[in-house]
Amino acid sequence: MAEIVEERYITPLANWARVLEIFIPGYMFGKAWGIANAQTVDLYRTIFPPFLIDMAEKMKGLMVTDSAALERLFSTCAGALVGFLVILILGVFMHLVLGDRKYIDSLRFTSITLIPLAVMNGTLSHLTNTLIETLGGGETIEALTKSAVDSPRGQIQMFCIFYMLALWMFGKRTGVIGKRRYFVLLVGIGFLAAYFACGLGITQMEAAEILPKMMAAHGTH
Amino acid sequence: MNIVKDNFVRINKWALFSAIFLYLIGVFTPLKYLQPGLLFTFFAGFFCLFHKDYFVSKPRLAGHLWMLPLGVTLFTAFAPLTAGDGNPVLFLLSLLTSLIPCIILITGSSAEKPPRKPRLKAVTIRTVVQCSIFMIWASVTSFCFIKGTRPDMLFWAMFHVTTVALFPVFFGRVLCGWLCPNATLQDALYKNMTFKRPIENLPRAIDAQSSTASMNISGKIDARAPLFPATLLMSWFPMFFAETVWDLTGVAWYPIAFMYGLFVLSLLFKWRKMCTHFCWLSSYRGINCHNSLWRIRYNKSQCRQCKVCQAEKACPFYIDIRNQDNEMPATCCLCFSCMEACPFEGVITFKRAPEEKARIKAMEKQAA
Repeated sequence: MAEIVEERYITPLANWARVLEIFIPGYMFGKAWGIANAQTVDLYRTIFPPFLIDMAEKMKGLMVTDSAALERLFSTCAGALVGFLVILILGVFMHLVLGDRKYIDSLRFTSITLIPLAVMNGTLSHLTNTLIETLGGGETIEALTKSAVDSPRGQIQMFCIFYMLALWMFGKRTGVIGKRRYFVLLVGIGFLAAYFACGLGITQMEAAEILPKMMAAHGTH
Repeated sequence: MNIVKDNFVRINKWALFSAIFLYLIGVFTPLKYLQPGLLFTFFAGFFCLFHKDYFVSKPRLAGHLWMLPLGVTLFTAFAPLTAGDGNPVLFLLSLLTSLIPCIILITGSSAEKPPRKPRLKAVTIRTVVQCSIFMIWASVTSFCFIKGTRPDMLFWAMFHVTTVALFPVFFGRVLCGWLCPNATLQDALYKNMTFKRPIENLPRAIDAQSSTASMNISGKIDARAPLFPATLLMSWFPMFFAETVWDLTGVAWYPIAFMYGLFVLSLLFKWRKMCTHFCWLSSYRGINCHNSLWRIRYNKSQCRQCKVCQAEKACPFYIDIRNQDNEMPATCCLCFSCMEACPFEGVITFKRAPEEKARIKAMEKQAA
């Protein structure tokens, strides 16, 4: 029985899968930071940590093109690179805690467990774009501020729980035993704390400050 | 009329295909007319075909089931899913798709004997749930498509991260087996269109992706083992890049094209190969569901090795349960096909047998 199980670890294309398991969640995680345009970039800076958006914007500045499709491609790549960088750094901490595997496997652990947060980033960018679309819809500033603050907050809370769940379950699945699994959770909590400290989410004050400006910029005032 | 198995299948298939044809005309042509009864025709057709072994010996019961689409079509004669007065020709054709099988099956008789092993209740419930979800999905999708809005909102609501991250902890991959409309479509196509698929044998490296370590093993896996099939990861980049670069997220035809692409691919490849090779939701559930509360148990000590439950024959995810020590791996979608296929009692069950518990305890002690 044990032999059959061992054999199954070695599937064809396994090395490809291992590498892509790092890149694809990284791409998903960072993509949202790169896709802001001139209209939305200020709001993105408020919802996401501003230095991450600025990093992506700087990278985008290196690759200027007239084609809209190519521009979107470069934007996506710029965001993905920043996302990958974040995963590389978080992976170091995770590797120190896990301690039972190679760095590349710790990195895979880090990036796969980050998928809920990657989906969260995508959802937040979608909410931001929707908010921009509703700016000209004749809604009051109070209603817009409420929706700008409440919707992201609900999403962030839910996805953070899923992130914790993924860390715990995936740790269990790959044989992270005893106290180590709690330390893995602690690293996750630390990462979330850092993400929040850097500016994830939008507060009532921030919304009240930026939304009137954006409404004026969009000529709906 | 004497209804043998072939006749029974033919009647239901023709009714189903006619309904699909009318549905496509209603959605894609400028007529834009959708009769709600058609969706119930899908249900009756799928259900009868899924349970053909049971219904073929009781055609009158199947006829009673066909009264449901007939009634709905009559009841909603003046209330199509689309705006406007409707189309009398399409309405009449929609009515005939349910009326003809209903009359034939109610008046027909069959000399076929009922199957030896009765249908499992859980499988009947699963089929009803599958058919109903598919119906809802089809109606919402076509309604939104006609209205020009996003057609896949219900689909994404169902496949929200709650169902990907939280559900699996409790119910395993029940969504893949019970709720996914893509999966229902593939099940229906595979079980009822039994021709040899043009792409029957995939290259070994690609085929092996349907049984990666994380998918085929219950319990812990090696930290080095790949989690997702390489085919899925490789197809991910081009797909998401295309979506982002050409800004397809809000485009109505994109998810529709995706669904019909899947439909065509299901006719080319073997059963559920699309799920095992390309579905990220399906793979991601594998992370959280390996210790799910609701799962089926394989009582190895009672198995007589008759191989009826063998992968490829019974399991949509190609799991060979006889290779498992005591329970199904993370990939199991709780369709209970193996449980139903097993001709013996107590081999594949919901609860672990006491002697099996003792055997596993002894094994764990030995390992410790």
